[in-house]
Amino acid sequence: MLDAIVQKLHAGERLSFDDGLALFRHPDVVSVGRLANEGRERRHGDRTYFNRNMRIETTNVCVASCLFCSFAKLEEGAPGAHTMRVEDAWRELEERMDDPPGEIHIVNGLHPGLPFSYYEELLAGFKRIKPDVHMKCFTAVEIHFFATHYGMTYREVLERLRSAGLDSLPGGGAEIFHPAVRTRIAHDKATADEWLEVHRIAHRLGMSTNATMLYGHIETFEHRVDHLLRLRALQDETGGFQAFIPLAFHPDGNGMRNLPAPTAIDALRTIAVSRLLLDNVPHVKAYWVSMTPEVAQIALCFGADDIDGTIVHETIYRAAGTRSPGALTAQQIVRLIQEAGRIPVERGSLYNVLREHPRASVPEAAVNVRDRKATKHLEVLS
Amino acid sequence: MSALVERAIAAAGLAGVLASRRAGTIDEAGVALLRGADLLALGALADRVRRDEVGDQVRIYAPPPERDTGALLLPRDDERLTGLELLREIAVARVTGPPSARVRIDWTRCGLELAQVGLGFGANELAGHIASKRGLPFAEGERIGVGKRSRLQAADLVKKKELAGFVRRSGRIPVFVGSDGSVEAVDEAMSI
Repeated sequence: MLDAIVQKLHAGERLSFDDGLALFRHPDVVSVGRLANEGRERRHGDRTYFNRNMRIETTNVCVASCLFCSFAKLEEGAPGAHTMRVEDAWRELEERMDDPPGEIHIVNGLHPGLPFSYYEELLAGFKRIKPDVHMKCFTAVEIHFFATHYGMTYREVLERLRSAGLDSLPGGGAEIFHPAVRTRIAHDKATADEWLEVHRIAHRLGMSTNATMLYGHIETFEHRVDHLLRLRALQDETGGFQAFIPLAFHPDGNGMRNLPAPTAIDALRTIAVSRLLLDNVPHVKAYWVSMTPEVAQIALCFGADDIDGTIVHETIYRAAGTRSPGALTAQQIVRLIQEAGRIPVERGSLYNVLREHPRASVPEAAVNVRDRKATKHLEVLS
Repeated sequence: MSALVERAIAAAGLAGVLASRRAGTIDEAGVALLRGADLLALGALADRVRRDEVGDQVRIYAPPPERDTGALLLPRDDERLTGLELLREIAVARVTGPPSARVRIDWTRCGLELAQVGLGFGANELAGHIASKRGLPFAEGERIGVGKRSRLQAADLVKKKELAGFVRRSGRIPVFVGSDGSVEAVDEAMSI
């Protein structure tokens, strides 16, 4: 089956639903990864992207009750609930102006008690502090909530937020599109069609967006392929997605805590199959917060060409029990990429190149070359 | 072996290494070639050698045996390897080690995630401590005491299930090896 898929890819044919399923089910994940790596190198060579970004979650108060979420609190005043004043959010940037991020990434809960002006002020304030900062804010789920809660169309919401400083949309909230899963894990927020429609309109307004998929919980491989093909179809229509980011489910402290977290093999396989199926999406990102820096580094050989950024202040995955650190420095990211034998490229939010770092003088393949006899590297316990 | 894998191995210049492995004649130049080869092609080669020589079973030692003979243990005590370096070490150990070598990964040194990936690069054994829910390893002595034992066994079972699931989701067959050398097969229902 894999050979038939290879022939299709070499002939420039698009992969089908069944092909995607076969790739997810193929026992030899290294071969699937190698195939994806060919596609990645055809597009990007050894270039591997990252950016200097900062995550802020200004409120975790949320009316939705997603089973996978360890971050949200149902109401203000509940233990652990927080809502930042806009001034406190701005201070996060002001305090980092000696080495400022190029991008601020805001994802929030669906807070029923805040006025829409809170979000407009939030954006405008960041732009006042640093006019060239890129504001990648509010998932399609939040945009849908704003539209229904404040009585506007998606277009009106997006246009008002753009006027206040919004530059692009992150890809969160996609979870799994298939209704058999979505109605069980996220029944009271934007549907798949609504999520896709928000992105469709954003693309028509000239905004770039990302897309995600939350995998490794109750969904099947069929659901994952269905999800990827829905994204591919919208991308055919609009061309507005910049990057696809598979997000590994983490079970701590949420309604699916009895499930095991997906394994590293699953993470690598999902990266690889995503790269192969999403033939029209430029970038596939190994989000190190979700999969740990070590596995994200390996994913750079399985089809990923982006490792996200410095992050600084992520709390959603931390609440769900990730073992990843809260932040990486740009130097650490450069080293991760260089160790993988790739070329680190610091990018802007729209994949404009800011700085291309040199390839490592001692790539991973040579790091371990030691001056020893052919069999001496083997440690036999005795 | 699929044509893709064959092509990948050949394109990386490793087809000759496979033949040398079978003939037992890998020399220093062959090892150097492996160390500089495309990592995924090397992994495919090592996985092929593993499948041919030791099959799909993964022996899990939890806790690791105090004394053992013949296992090639990675990562070594004195090494801090990146994930990519570790995968290469595992693959090189499989391809250059003795026939049917026991290539063992210590997950307490590299993490379960990397250990699982290592199973695709030639490893066929895992070793480490089973942790309690608080993340502390169980010592053998902790199993004494009736009330305590029942509680600890429940936690121990959960972790065993997780481990078995890790292995099964890598397409392999888990078995647990006790400190007395006894082997416990794990049926599919026990794997989560």
